[in-house]
Amino acid sequence: MRRTAILLGGIAVLALLLTPTTGTAASRRATALAAQQQPADSPALEARGRELYQQACASCHGPDPAGPSYYPRVPSLKDTGGAAAVDWAVRTGRMPWKDNKGPAIERGEPRFGEQDIRALVVYVGKAVGDAQIPDVDPARGNLQRGRQLYGQACAACHGMNGAGAALGGQNIAVSLQGVEPIDVAEAIKIGPGQMPVGGGLADYEFGTAQSTQEVDDIAAYVESLQTRPYNRGGAPIGGKGPVPEGFVAWVIGLGILVVAARWIAGRG
Amino acid sequence: MTDSDQGSERVDVDRRSEQGPAGAPGGPGDRGGRPDQAMTGGQRRAERRAAVALAVAILAGIGLFIVYFAGGQTQIEGVLFAIAFGGLGIALGVWANHLLDAREVVEERHELTSGAAGRQAFEMALTEEVGPVLGRRSVLVGLLAGAGGALGLALLLPVLSLGPAPGNSLKVTPWRRGLRVVDEEGQPVSLDQVPQDGFLTVFPEGHEGTADAQALLIHVRPGSLRLPPERMAGVPEGTHVAYSKICTHAGCPVSLYEQETSRILCPCHQSQFDVSDGAKPFFGPAARPLPQLPLGVDEQRVLIAEGDFTEPVGPAFWDRGRQ
Amino acid sequence: MNIMERTFKYLDERLGTASLARATLRKVFPDHWSFLLGEIALFCLVVLIFTGTFLTFFYTPSIREVVYQGPYAPLQGSEVSAAYNSVLRLSFEVRAGLLMRQIHHWAALVFVAAIVVHLCRIFFTGAFRRPREVNWLIGIGLLFLALGEGFTGYSLPDDLLSGIGLRIFYSVTLAIPVVGTWVTYLLFGGEFPAPDIISRLFVFHIMLIPALLLALVAVHIAILVLQKHTQFPGPGHSERNVVGKRLWPEQTFKSVSLLLFVTAVLALLGGLGQINPVWQYGPFVPYNVTSPAQPDWYIGFLDGALRLGPPWDLTLWGFTISEVFWPAILFPGIAFGILTLWPWIERRFTRDRAEHHLLDHPRDTPVRTGIGAAGLMVFFIMFLEGGNDIFGVLLNVTVETITRILQWSLVIAPILTFLVTYWTCKSLSRTRLRPARINAGVRLSRTPDGGYETVSLEPAATDGEREPAGTGQHGS
Repeated sequence: MRRTAILLGGIAVLALLLTPTTGTAASRRATALAAQQQPADSPALEARGRELYQQACASCHGPDPAGPSYYPRVPSLKDTGGAAAVDWAVRTGRMPWKDNKGPAIERGEPRFGEQDIRALVVYVGKAVGDAQIPDVDPARGNLQRGRQLYGQACAACHGMNGAGAALGGQNIAVSLQGVEPIDVAEAIKIGPGQMPVGGGLADYEFGTAQSTQEVDDIAAYVESLQTRPYNRGGAPIGGKGPVPEGFVAWVIGLGILVVAARWIAGRG
Repeated sequence: MTDSDQGSERVDVDRRSEQGPAGAPGGPGDRGGRPDQAMTGGQRRAERRAAVALAVAILAGIGLFIVYFAGGQTQIEGVLFAIAFGGLGIALGVWANHLLDAREVVEERHELTSGAAGRQAFEMALTEEVGPVLGRRSVLVGLLAGAGGALGLALLLPVLSLGPAPGNSLKVTPWRRGLRVVDEEGQPVSLDQVPQDGFLTVFPEGHEGTADAQALLIHVRPGSLRLPPERMAGVPEGTHVAYSKICTHAGCPVSLYEQETSRILCPCHQSQFDVSDGAKPFFGPAARPLPQLPLGVDEQRVLIAEGDFTEPVGPAFWDRGRQ
Repeated sequence: MNIMERTFKYLDERLGTASLARATLRKVFPDHWSFLLGEIALFCLVVLIFTGTFLTFFYTPSIREVVYQGPYAPLQGSEVSAAYNSVLRLSFEVRAGLLMRQIHHWAALVFVAAIVVHLCRIFFTGAFRRPREVNWLIGIGLLFLALGEGFTGYSLPDDLLSGIGLRIFYSVTLAIPVVGTWVTYLLFGGEFPAPDIISRLFVFHIMLIPALLLALVAVHIAILVLQKHTQFPGPGHSERNVVGKRLWPEQTFKSVSLLLFVTAVLALLGGLGQINPVWQYGPFVPYNVTSPAQPDWYIGFLDGALRLGPPWDLTLWGFTISEVFWPAILFPGIAFGILTLWPWIERRFTRDRAEHHLLDHPRDTPVRTGIGAAGLMVFFIMFLEGGNDIFGVLLNVTVETITRILQWSLVIAPILTFLVTYWTCKSLSRTRLRPARINAGVRLSRTPDGGYETVSLEPAATDGEREPAGTGQHGS
């Protein structure tokens, strides 16, 4: 009786764990949308940006964003992608660098509010002469072309389903779950960390009609990865392919069956 | 598999079924179970459990009909099937363990061997009527064996029709001197197209998408390549280098380019190649570097190939080093 | 007589079914839960055949390009192979199609897992000893067939992930010395990506391998019935008998119950657990790849072996032995060779040529158990390495670190495992504890001339080979 109860309880827990989770497509953060509009230029904003920069960034990146940084492994902001790079890094919480160990790869909570981020973006953008934030809209994008481009340029590192993967050393290509269209556009422009500049696209040039369209297409596909209908088979089990699937087959599949065999065989 | 094979048999009766007539095991007219026998409390409880399990199974079965004709839904159907089958399984398991009158029985094992006599009889049966030719080394038997062998081999000939001879095909690709470099959609790639720290998958013009021709074009930082001069001749402006995209280990497309460390990683077995050092593998199971594709530039600053890859692309095979 | 009785009489008058059936139904099978593991594998095969037949009605084994028009939006308008298109159609547009496909794939994973666990039971209890060596060989053959069936099966959808796996398989066959290029070109039909391979894999998967599987399973079970099942030592158990329950009714009820449980678990997994979502991977393109890239678990040890290296290729007089040869051809050859020949290897050292129908408790054969555990550890290390990039991200460790650790483990861990296992067996053996159950109750034994005698049932402290002592005779 007790064993039956445990078995049923286990199945119930199982069912709960394996229930497919809802997607997050609907949640477009106001921050992201707001950041898409070119940050309004105002002297007050720029001054605030300079102040923040001196507080939070200068200790590594140097007193002048367009000048050299203090450490050889820290890139100067002159050639990391300008305003888009600042927006991307700060908005996704990667900068300021949290633990000083290894590459700043994992997303986190942004340390600054919306206005402050805009201030930093305006200040650094002006200082390095690259003040444009990408203009991206997945609704303008062609989903099918996006899938094709993604398969050519992005899938090798990020996986066709956006699950992410390990690279060499401490580097990883992040999972694209929860990634906003603006993140996609900015990352393609700046090539953060180990990611190639231009994202591996043929003929990428920021600002041209063709590149903007291609980025829209890719953003549309990345957005589609967040939505539930494409996990219609059930719980994605991490989306990492046969390794977790094999784990589930052994632990849950064979596990339950061995318990069942012991029960069936009776007092043995 | 008749009774006589089984030898003697002992039947064990345990305490639980002592209330009925003792013994009288499995004779020809015996139909076993005693349907009018009173059930113990435990058996009544077991019967209830089985009944509940079966009832749940029936409900799940009905549910399946409803779900299917309503349009179907994979998760619900899976759960309902599991409940239906599981309910039946539980019921039968409970039945087996509590509601049967099964006794533990001892069955004697019989000898597996036919014994020397049996084997001799077999040999007799084999050799009794074979006549003067078989069983003796004679010309006829020899010829029979020869014919059988020749025919057997000939029957294998259609196997050779399964595929072409490998020939030279593993050692050459469609790349030729003068062919333009194009992307996978056939658009020619110009020298100024790929941004610094960017990369692109390229093919020879006219052969877009051909598997063995796939190459990675990488725009590296000036001065970062450490190749000998004859190899640098195939790198326009010292920054645009192309390597085969086919991993020399087991053939996967080596696509993961790390721009800051100038390394290419293969996702299949984690071989890593150093772009600055002629794509030599420095970690992982790959033993040979990615072959380089020498590039040049035509009058319109479109990249062209200066020849085929410097060695056979992809994984090693037996005669890779032979002409 | 009612219709059932009349049917039965009809068959018996023509085929003699009554006495055949009676003898079969009365056969005695010992019941221990670990004897059901082979049945779990068998019932997975039953599910595979039923679901597989359904899938065959929808699958098109052709690489002819068609335009995808189905409801999976990112692929609409794209050119895909007819094979891939048929799998997407089944998954999105056929009612219960995705359920059947997923049950089929989960069943394949659990099938091989059950075979492995069953094999471990046979190995660790010494059930492969005389007279069961032939059945051991057949079992190993079934394992290989299952591996082949799984590999051919998941390569059929012609998706990006399985296509990468096919590319690796192509490279492995290329690495066979001397004849590698010929074998590869004949098997695949030419240079990679060989267009014929999908339809050839289909022939293997639905005809050649299943035929062999079913034939060998039938022989496997027939030999088992002929030789009778082995049993653990226990009160009243000897090398000359089989103690257990009859096929009818108890073992039948239990086996059917297990079949239903297997189906239930596979249906649960098939409905709730997404497996091999090929629409996400996209169609196979020979110059694209997706990460992470692993095969199904039962091929995972080969993938891990390939990742472990070493990067040594040998070139002599222009002839090359690829670095792929050592992990993918030599290692499996040696490992599976030892596994296959194990009954004879063990016999060489134990010089035990006797017939055995009583099983060993693993703790009583510490050397065999230790070697088996060490062998499992080798495979386990390879499995871990096969997922090194996934574990790396999970544990926040670099791929290089994991690989180095596992390379060293490959040398050290099996030895350690053997020593720990050996020591554990020895100390457990010393306590004389046994996990076998004790029967309660009286035993009645019927003598050949019709009388009964009771049999005392003291549980044996050693190995149950005592002859039960008669305590009296009743009637005659």
